[in-house]
Amino acid sequence: MMSPINPSADLVTAFLMGLAGAGHCLMMCGGIASAMGINTRPYHVWLYNLGRVCSYMLIGALVGGAIGLFAPEGGYTTIILRWLAVAFLLLLGLYFTGWFSGLVYLEKSARPIWQKIQPLAAKLRNKPGIFATFFAGALWGWLPCGMVYSALSWAALSGSASGGALTMAAFGLGTLPAMIAAGHFSQFLHRFLRAQGVRTAMGVLLIIYALWSMLTLIKPFF
Amino acid sequence: MECFHCLQPVPKGVNLAVEYKGSEKPVCCAGCQAVAQTIIQHNLHAYYEHRDTSQLQESPVLPEELNDLDLYDNPDLQKEFVRHEGADTELATLTVENITCGACGWLIERELLRLEGVQKAVVNVTSRRVQVSWSPGQLKLSDILRVLANIGYKALPFQPNEAEQQYARQRKSYIRRLGVAGIATMQVMMIAFGLYFGVVSDLSPDLQRFLWSVSLIFATPVILYSAQPFYAGALRALQASRLNMDIPVSIALLGAYSASVYATITNTGEVYFESISMFTFFLLTGRFLELLAKERALKFATNRLTLLPKLANRETPEGYESVAIKLLETGDIIRVKAGETIPADGELLNKQAQVDESLLTGESLPRSKKLGDAVIAGSINQHSPIRIKVTATAQQTVLAGIIAMQDSALAVKPKAQQVIDKLAGYFIAAILTVAVITYFSWWWIQPDHALWVTLAVLVATCPCALSLAAPTALTGIIHRLNRDGILLKGSDVLESVKHLNKVCLDKTGTLTEGKFRLVERKDYIDSETVDKLVSGLELFSEHPLSVPLSQLSETPASFQDVTNEMGFGLQGKLDGQLYRAGSESYIQQWHPEFKAINKHQVVIASKERVLAEFRVEDQIREGAAETINWLKNNGYQPIILSGDSESRVQSLAHELGITEYHSALKPEDKLAFVTAQQEAGNTVWMVGDGINDSPVLAKADLSMTFSQASDLAQTAADVVLMSESLNQIRVVIESALKTRQIMKQNFIWALVYNVSVLPVAAIGMIAPWAAALGMSLSSLLVIGNSLRLYRK
Repeated sequence: MMSPINPSADLVTAFLMGLAGAGHCLMMCGGIASAMGINTRPYHVWLYNLGRVCSYMLIGALVGGAIGLFAPEGGYTTIILRWLAVAFLLLLGLYFTGWFSGLVYLEKSARPIWQKIQPLAAKLRNKPGIFATFFAGALWGWLPCGMVYSALSWAALSGSASGGALTMAAFGLGTLPAMIAAGHFSQFLHRFLRAQGVRTAMGVLLIIYALWSMLTLIKPFF
Repeated sequence: MECFHCLQPVPKGVNLAVEYKGSEKPVCCAGCQAVAQTIIQHNLHAYYEHRDTSQLQESPVLPEELNDLDLYDNPDLQKEFVRHEGADTELATLTVENITCGACGWLIERELLRLEGVQKAVVNVTSRRVQVSWSPGQLKLSDILRVLANIGYKALPFQPNEAEQQYARQRKSYIRRLGVAGIATMQVMMIAFGLYFGVVSDLSPDLQRFLWSVSLIFATPVILYSAQPFYAGALRALQASRLNMDIPVSIALLGAYSASVYATITNTGEVYFESISMFTFFLLTGRFLELLAKERALKFATNRLTLLPKLANRETPEGYESVAIKLLETGDIIRVKAGETIPADGELLNKQAQVDESLLTGESLPRSKKLGDAVIAGSINQHSPIRIKVTATAQQTVLAGIIAMQDSALAVKPKAQQVIDKLAGYFIAAILTVAVITYFSWWWIQPDHALWVTLAVLVATCPCALSLAAPTALTGIIHRLNRDGILLKGSDVLESVKHLNKVCLDKTGTLTEGKFRLVERKDYIDSETVDKLVSGLELFSEHPLSVPLSQLSETPASFQDVTNEMGFGLQGKLDGQLYRAGSESYIQQWHPEFKAINKHQVVIASKERVLAEFRVEDQIREGAAETINWLKNNGYQPIILSGDSESRVQSLAHELGITEYHSALKPEDKLAFVTAQQEAGNTVWMVGDGINDSPVLAKADLSMTFSQASDLAQTAADVVLMSESLNQIRVVIESALKTRQIMKQNFIWALVYNVSVLPVAAIGMIAPWAAALGMSLSSLLVIGNSLRLYRK
């Protein structure tokens, strides 16, 4: 089994976070995604989502770059960031299960930014054309979302702009199946993924993964 | 009506039957009758129990495939299974394939209630039926079926044959899965033995890798095909936010398989193909046994819903035409021959008629009807052909109303199953938690062992023995009682026998046989002459009371000018003299000072003097007295609930030593009585036989009926007694108590095993294959214990 103290394992973790959130994504953004799917040609859906993932990468690069520039080099930074990442993973798991919704506060605090972006997004969404679609998707990427913030804590771990972008790309890739296929999924799959029981199971998996990551952090001291 | 032998419809007017296990079965022709009689006389009953009837049956009215769901909206078809409850409410019962647990029921109910226009949806998990009512203005039946199909359930309007076919399909699919798992497991096990016990010494890495690959090839269909029901069950449970046994099973199977495939490809670590194949095979066997028991139970419940005749004789300007009952319309005029069942509610167009409404009212005497009176579907025309103007058809009839009432009673029946499901949920949550902790601990101490130890925990603690504890005991009691001529349709008997304290019994047809016989007489002249006279006169009567009297003499007197005064009696002339046989008041017209002895109903007299008086009574059923005594001695209070008159019920209660009795009850009164008793905390069993009993049979904690009882009563009852003796009640109670005991032992064993094996597995002392073996042995022990029920 791979240890999470390992860059490629962090990418896998980010990807899994995106994948596990399928039910959550469908609930939060399923409407937007399927609206795109209905009104436009297939490649527009891809473009739209590409825009979204690009935004994630941009945010990831910003966070990773900031850490790389400003955080002091050395053991403590890494350890603190890693604990932070694991804590966010735990929070995300608890959020999915519905047992504790701490992430919602984070979402709320990011809302002012979104309120500035939203009018633009609404305008762009109705415009035809490749660039408009891409940018509409890019703006969508700034939607306040607890999942994104949890993933960002892992992007921060990379300690570089490129690493952060890569982590967020992996995360975005994980969210793609649910979002691309939102309009095409069978009604059964929709209902299955969105059922509280399934989201709880996903949350429990993340929590277990978070606990295990904590153990890996503690173990070296024993 | 179907021919008992060839399963083809019985043509109109043919009235042939064979006796099979104590009841009359209709056949279509003399040929079938002869063949069936031969088979039965040669003691080859098993033929009728085991034959595959799906091939020979009439092609079903409804298409099987879901593609044509819209067809179910056809109003003509809907008359067969949809009932109008009000201006904007329709009600139908659906059978749903693959309901496996309470969680499915919950899911279906929730899903249906989300639909706009659905008013009520109640799922009965044991019988796999859904009762749904909706407003036709807002949605169509096909929409409901489609919604169910979308969440993975195949629902069809209830048709007895289809439910059975669904079971047959499921059984076949289980057999295929079992076959694949069995064959593959044997191969993988052989290889595993070689690997474990060093049959091949100094195994070279290449050979080991080859053997692993072969195991992989054999185990793959087991995991991908045979184990599918477990994954489906797990996903359904997750969707409904429940935990069931399928979840740890699926995790163990898929986890072990993935790890083994990884090990095979990278040629490192360990493989567990033999453990997972074995595990799947044993689990499937358990499921299969459970399915067989359920199928058996459901067959009894569904076999009997073909109550009404399927064709009616409709009057047209050109004459009569045969027409399906579902196509009858209000206002049609139909003809019903003597002895036929009336197919629809209607208004009598003849001057008078006698109909037997015993199916509906339990009243044993035929009723007289006059021009314009209402006749009820399901009752039998006794004498001359009659014409009826239809006022309600199929699902609108009184009979359909009673059936619906009974279904509702069934739907709200309390189920102990819910408690068990809930407990199992906690147990599984505990297992999963322990598995996670085990993995973490081992990963901390010795990462190499973490996976297989966790696997061993999941497999060893799999609550299979726990889940087998009840179904195997249930199959045991079903077989045991079958042997004694008692059919059991569900497991309710086991739960309710524990708290049983009141046994309610119907009178006519239950405590008594429903046949009249002469019990007392007083002759005022020599009895031989009386016999001749009374049998001569009573021969002209159709009244059931007259049957035993008309058979008193071998050489009845030949009366002339016999007149029948309805409700009074008969008058006839013999050798120039007038005689009368009838009620006390009828005789008092001639002899005003005459007073009959108490309870004597029939008096015979000439104009000069009273000749004799008789008391004719319904015969008490065999074993009634002992059974009532046994019940009282064992702390069960017998109560009579009868629709009959006060005086008759009182005398019977007195004779049998029953202190509590209630007379002149209508079906709803019986229902109310039992409900009140249940609300007062009593556990009530009901024994009854008529259609009028079916609602209360469905409501009681447990209900019994006789195989001679009406079809509807048999449908409603949990237990059908094939023999005529009431002693069977005692057999049921004693067997149920014994089964409870065995079930308890099973539960205790399974719990003790699971709880004690858990720490041993968690500290890594059990290999996965040993865990699977232990799990299987534990299950075998449970099955073996249940097998004791088969012995006398």
